[in-house]
Amino acid sequence: MSTIDIQLQHRIEQFYYREAALLDKREYQQWLLMLAEDIHYVMPSRYSPQRDIEKRGQESFLALKDELESPSPATAPMREENIFTIALRADRAYKTNAWGFNPPARTRRIVGNVMIEVSENEKEYSVNSNFILYYSRHRNDNFIYSGQRNDTLRDYDGQLVVARREVILDWNVIEAPSVGLFF
Amino acid sequence: MATGHHFTVSDYVNDDASYIHRGVFTDERVYRRELERIFSCNWLYLCHESQLQKAGDFLTTFMGETPIIVALGHDGKLHASINSCRHRGLPVCRTDSGNAKRFVCPYHNWSYTVEGELSAVPQEKYLQNPPDKSSLGLKKVPRLESYRGLIFGSFNEHIESLDDYLGDQKFYLDLYFNRFPEGIEVIGEPHKWLLNANWKLPVENQLGDVAHGPYLHNSLIEKDSDAVHEINNHGLNCVAKAGHGAALRFMPEDSDPKDIAWGLEGFGMVMNPGMEQYLLEVQKSAASRIGEIGARCKGLTFGVYPNLSFLWSNSTLRVSHPRGPGQVEYWSWWVVPKDAPDDVKEALRINYNLLFGPAGMLEEEDSEAWTQQYIGSRIPDARDQRYYYGMGLGEDGNHPDLPGLVGSCFNEHYARQFYLRWRDEMDDIDKINVE
Repeated sequence: MSTIDIQLQHRIEQFYYREAALLDKREYQQWLLMLAEDIHYVMPSRYSPQRDIEKRGQESFLALKDELESPSPATAPMREENIFTIALRADRAYKTNAWGFNPPARTRRIVGNVMIEVSENEKEYSVNSNFILYYSRHRNDNFIYSGQRNDTLRDYDGQLVVARREVILDWNVIEAPSVGLFF
Repeated sequence: MATGHHFTVSDYVNDDASYIHRGVFTDERVYRRELERIFSCNWLYLCHESQLQKAGDFLTTFMGETPIIVALGHDGKLHASINSCRHRGLPVCRTDSGNAKRFVCPYHNWSYTVEGELSAVPQEKYLQNPPDKSSLGLKKVPRLESYRGLIFGSFNEHIESLDDYLGDQKFYLDLYFNRFPEGIEVIGEPHKWLLNANWKLPVENQLGDVAHGPYLHNSLIEKDSDAVHEINNHGLNCVAKAGHGAALRFMPEDSDPKDIAWGLEGFGMVMNPGMEQYLLEVQKSAASRIGEIGARCKGLTFGVYPNLSFLWSNSTLRVSHPRGPGQVEYWSWWVVPKDAPDDVKEALRINYNLLFGPAGMLEEEDSEAWTQQYIGSRIPDARDQRYYYGMGLGEDGNHPDLPGLVGSCFNEHYARQFYLRWRDEMDDIDKINVE
């Protein structure tokens, strides 16, 4: 693994902190500007599959990807969105009759473990990060989401944008009323 | 209410079910009774036949709170067993689905065939009197039957056939499950999520509660849109048999085939123009499979008593698994016409996971309503305020073309019929009150 320039690490971490701050402040319209117009935003569903006995004793026996249903004609992923559907969700937050946002979400995002991979395309970075998201709305209905984000960030005229995001949640049975939040 | 009065079912549901007591959704004793009288006595949906293809294929699910393994046996038959070892009760299967030769309990490695027979007890060779394995198989679900690939099980050995249980609801199920030339298939694993709501609220919603659409979901569904006008003008709530329901648009005889064919498209149509072509082709031949009347029906929501739902436009089957009076483990599966091209299937999936399911924009509003209804049902000083279920009372009746009792899509008779059946099945609830 090649060394990541500390300035690049700093730049990408600052990008994520700004993103988390905008989302926690409910400034979703500002946040949309951090996304590429051709963004793919996916959340595989996650289940408990039977393991391949041939792989016993090897790390691939427990491969995380075997638990995920990413978009394909043979799968049922949890989310597969584009800029249009993401914007639709963002717009709804500011309507008086979008009852899933009334009262509005109180969220707190902690993003960490930011790992950058150098890609062949020098204008794109593959970045893995972890998050904890605390979510509260009604009275004492509080939920904690934990997961991983696998992003492709694109350097677009000196500005970073999210070109692809895969969100992997750590539940089998989801314990929160919605996973339609912005992760 | 006078002190010492024991609630009877009539206090919970009045004689025409126009008033429903809040305790129906919250009382622990009602819930315990439901597990015995509703979930252990009726046909419950297990899975679709497309999910089990080869001998040894299995999946795990629930009947009420009871964990179940459904497997295709080496005898070519379906088997459903309780996922709990006869020795100390641990689950013998720990995965959601797969293909197995044996299910092995982790504790002492008792192992079972996929058909549920006890095949090995490793310690038996050290015993003088080994256990009689033939009597120690997993507890079987005694009745398994299917209709159009939908597999149901029942713990009630004496229950009527699934065919009789569904009755004329088969006509309504056929509208979707027999509409397509090669039938339908379930793709992928189910989505599963917990909601702090009573299990009957999601069921009731999808038995025929079309009326809430442009109100609860007004941020997405305009009251003045063509789609809403079509529902207002042609929407019907059909109850083939108490407890089942079918909400649909019954389109006029002279309708343009396009106006009837659509109804599955939603957002997907915007994403994929190829869907239009596919659905129109299906519509052209639909009458040959489901009759002229059937081919004029554009479905909305369907329910099979007690806890199976199907959403037409959103390509999803769902089951409301009870987890106590105030919690439901809701499961949804993606279901599509088997012969549809992959890109059409994927376009249909947008309606499934963008609008419904745990990330669904519409469903997050439904689950909001269901969880808030549960909170409302627990208000101590409102216990004397029964819910009004009388919308459209007396306004339903026979229909010249469609089976069962039919009312407008604003008529809550689908819910009244559900709760009248529920009342019948819960009948001697006052007995457990004395315990």
